[in-house]
Amino acid sequence: MSYSRDQVKQITDKVLNMCKADAVEVRFSGGERSATRFANSSITANLIEHDQEVSITVYYGQRSAAATTHQFDDASLKRTIERVQELARRKPENPELMMPVKPPQNYVEVDAVLPATANFGPAERAAMVKASTDICEKKGVLGAGYIPKLHWTDAIANSEGLFGYFRYAEASFILTCRTPDQTGSGWAGTTGVKDVRNIDAKMLTEIAADKGLRSRKPRAIEPGNYTVILEPRPAARFLSLMLGSLNARAAEEGRSFMSGKERGTTRIGEKVFGDNFTLRSEIGNPVLRQTPIGQDGLAAKSITWVEKGVVKNLFYDRYWAMRQKKEPTGTQPGMSLVMEGGTSTIDEMIKSTKRGLLVSFFWYIRGVDNQTLLNTGMTRDGLFLIENGEIVAPVQNFRWNESPAVGFNNITMLGRPVPMHTGEAYDNPGTAMVPPMKIEDFTMTSISPAV
Amino acid sequence: MRRRDFVKTLSATGVALYASDLVGELLAQSPKARVLESRFKGMSDIALTEAKRLGCSYADVRFTRNLSDSIGVRDRIVGGGGGGFGGGGREESAGFGVRVIHSGVWGFASSPFVTDDEVKKITAQATEVAKASAVSKRFEVRLAPTDSYIDYWSVPVEINPDTVSLDDKIGFLMKLNETALKQPDVMRVQSQIAFDFEWKYLATSEGSVIEQEIWRTFPSFSVTARKGNQIKQRTFVVPPKTGGYEIALEGQMLENVERIAAEAAEHCTAPPVGVGLKDLIMTPSHAMLTIHEIVAHATELDRIVGYEANYAGTSFVKISDLGKMKYGSKMFNVTADRTIEGGMCTVGYDDDGVKSQEWPLIREGILVGLQTNRETAHYIGEKESRGCTFATSWRNYPFLRMPNVHVDAGPPGSPTPEEIIADTKDGVLIDGRGSYSIDQQRFNGQFGGDAFWEVKNGKKVRMVSDVTYNAITTDFWANLDAVSGKESWQMFGTTGDAKGQPVQINHPSHGSPWLRIKRMMVGTAYS
Repeated sequence: MSYSRDQVKQITDKVLNMCKADAVEVRFSGGERSATRFANSSITANLIEHDQEVSITVYYGQRSAAATTHQFDDASLKRTIERVQELARRKPENPELMMPVKPPQNYVEVDAVLPATANFGPAERAAMVKASTDICEKKGVLGAGYIPKLHWTDAIANSEGLFGYFRYAEASFILTCRTPDQTGSGWAGTTGVKDVRNIDAKMLTEIAADKGLRSRKPRAIEPGNYTVILEPRPAARFLSLMLGSLNARAAEEGRSFMSGKERGTTRIGEKVFGDNFTLRSEIGNPVLRQTPIGQDGLAAKSITWVEKGVVKNLFYDRYWAMRQKKEPTGTQPGMSLVMEGGTSTIDEMIKSTKRGLLVSFFWYIRGVDNQTLLNTGMTRDGLFLIENGEIVAPVQNFRWNESPAVGFNNITMLGRPVPMHTGEAYDNPGTAMVPPMKIEDFTMTSISPAV
Repeated sequence: MRRRDFVKTLSATGVALYASDLVGELLAQSPKARVLESRFKGMSDIALTEAKRLGCSYADVRFTRNLSDSIGVRDRIVGGGGGGFGGGGREESAGFGVRVIHSGVWGFASSPFVTDDEVKKITAQATEVAKASAVSKRFEVRLAPTDSYIDYWSVPVEINPDTVSLDDKIGFLMKLNETALKQPDVMRVQSQIAFDFEWKYLATSEGSVIEQEIWRTFPSFSVTARKGNQIKQRTFVVPPKTGGYEIALEGQMLENVERIAAEAAEHCTAPPVGVGLKDLIMTPSHAMLTIHEIVAHATELDRIVGYEANYAGTSFVKISDLGKMKYGSKMFNVTADRTIEGGMCTVGYDDDGVKSQEWPLIREGILVGLQTNRETAHYIGEKESRGCTFATSWRNYPFLRMPNVHVDAGPPGSPTPEEIIADTKDGVLIDGRGSYSIDQQRFNGQFGGDAFWEVKNGKKVRMVSDVTYNAITTDFWANLDAVSGKESWQMFGTTGDAKGQPVQINHPSHGSPWLRIKRMMVGTAYS
């Protein structure tokens, strides 16, 4: 099920015409979410979910309320509108309420629907599973994986005449290969791919299976500070830990790592990270091909968050920007995110390491201290000891406690950025261009024999 | 605001909720509790007949209507809440999902369009998905047998949240804000009441037709204080339960707001606990999450046999450990229970149509049971499912989710919380949930909390900060040496239990008495 621009506009126009309020905003989202899941080298779930939703927000002066419905027939829309109008009238005024965004908003044109991806169906996913599990069987490992596909449309319209529409189709292939004796596990994957033909399930299976086999019977080594080489997946997860700190309001209210020394100030202009840490949102990035629609329908624009370690911009939402007499940022920190990389390969990183760890995956990361960005998490699915430029042994997993504020000051080598999801799960957009990276003095605090 | 004033409004129960769209209209046209006369029976028959015609060996269709509604007040500003169920504000959705077994493999498809034609189309699509999956089949789905039921079941609700006026909900939370913001060190207060409503109608090809209605309510507030450059937040959580607005009224939020605000301020200047071995005294609101992460998840059978290897993880528990593994000390008894009143996972039947039940997981420290559903029971040679299947909504496929999992209270004569404190020489008392992270096999966990007090020579001395502890699951529970009695047993819970791909959310409750764990290493995360 896909929704064309005209189909969506008809729906949003209908809602806008039916509403009686000072102002109205309608958000549409809908499409198909499909997925194939397998474990122990056999499909355990294969599914197609269809869904559609409009979220209607009405405004009466500084009063506002929102409600959603998944049914678009006249009667359902009418009832939802009546309910939201009644709710909004009964709510007290909200001094922070912002009226809908005015047009024109010049959205960057992004072509994010390739037919091969949009038509990627359950039979093709099952064939991909078979190709993968055949390799698993040959190599003597058990494959557990996930192939999600999203063909989705998001749109925003309001009573000011704004209409923003973005449709995209993307897919991922994520695989864990475990050894039958349960002592080895390896991970490989690619996420948020706009052209499904770029998924090489066989190659990824070879990588995950080899990792699983090489990681058998890991030995325990002492916790402590290690040089770590983060492959793109753990690098993406580690990067995600500093995105929340880019909120200007939290910084200016003193609640954030980005708060300045004086109350009401931020660390914009301050060198907070190392020289080789540069982070920006590149709207229209040709690999990511992500939405150009920013906060509340503002046109998202490319923006540099951190350049050579210096904080350049923070995200000002529309209310906070108005209050602080600044321009709203529009582009939210997770959008079309690109971390600048380098030219090193992972092999070169290994060769240059006297003693360190090659990390395949980070798991269950949670914040410990918001002010310092201290987080804790685990390694998983392939952790290897490097000595004198060579991988010498698989080692037991570590719990780590570390802050990206420290880690991104200790990067010594960077590789080429690749698309990789920054979130814990892979279901929604969240893929960024992230390089593998070598970080010194990464704090491993305890071991776990868990495989 | 008095409770009896609300009870008077109960005659309107359900009307507003059911009438908000066409699915609601079908519901309103269906006689309550007479499942075979429901408007959804005919559509169920279409799905089941079509599945049979297409050669499916099993089929079920599940219509659901889900509502999450939260109201929040932050710093006297009314917003959508979000602390609890859903993403904040009012979210309604309705639709259906069809699940079939064809060629020995599952197929699932779902749609929000609840019409006869769509039901038929989606059933065919689910079947096509199953057929396509058979190409890479290595084993066939085996379902444990279950009796068939024709039944209606609902959670007892004293005050339907939809009948309480918005003004009353806002007024209640506004009072909390006013009281908290009077404290000079308080810079922010966030309060919310979140509601979750689930109606579901399940029909299976084995003859079950089951309709269920569940309300859940979760009130809470957080206060952020600043002293100098130190900022700390303290959260008060009313135990979330199945039930209605009465849970908020009985939650003693107003009675606790001054204490919580004062503790937030005190926490700002509390000294770090430092690194060292301490006895941990855990209140039920803190023990909840530790139980969830390193007992409840570890005993999910689908994890143990590898179904979650690519995401949520497996388990350090092996099938061969059943009946043998020493999970904790002799005082450690854990029970799984989908029947307890108020439990957020309490239902009449699971989403396989299996009648809910209570069963032991750990007795006197030994692992004696696991969580199963129809699909997994055979892995441990059990003839029947324990009834752990759940799907978040119509849109999602049902699979094994944890039930309510409790640590049992100690026997009569067990110490009171005060006696546990009095008996502790060098300890830390931990309340509420904080940072938490656990490995994929649930063996190495690191937990923080919401507030901490130093306990010295039997006395609660002062607040301390920077407390985390590292729990190696079986060592941790082996060090359990004090369990309070049933008088202090409380059931908290979590509304964000994520598992599966695509990720689905579950809302389990975890009851616990006060617990003491001897000599645990604390504070290493901050060292």
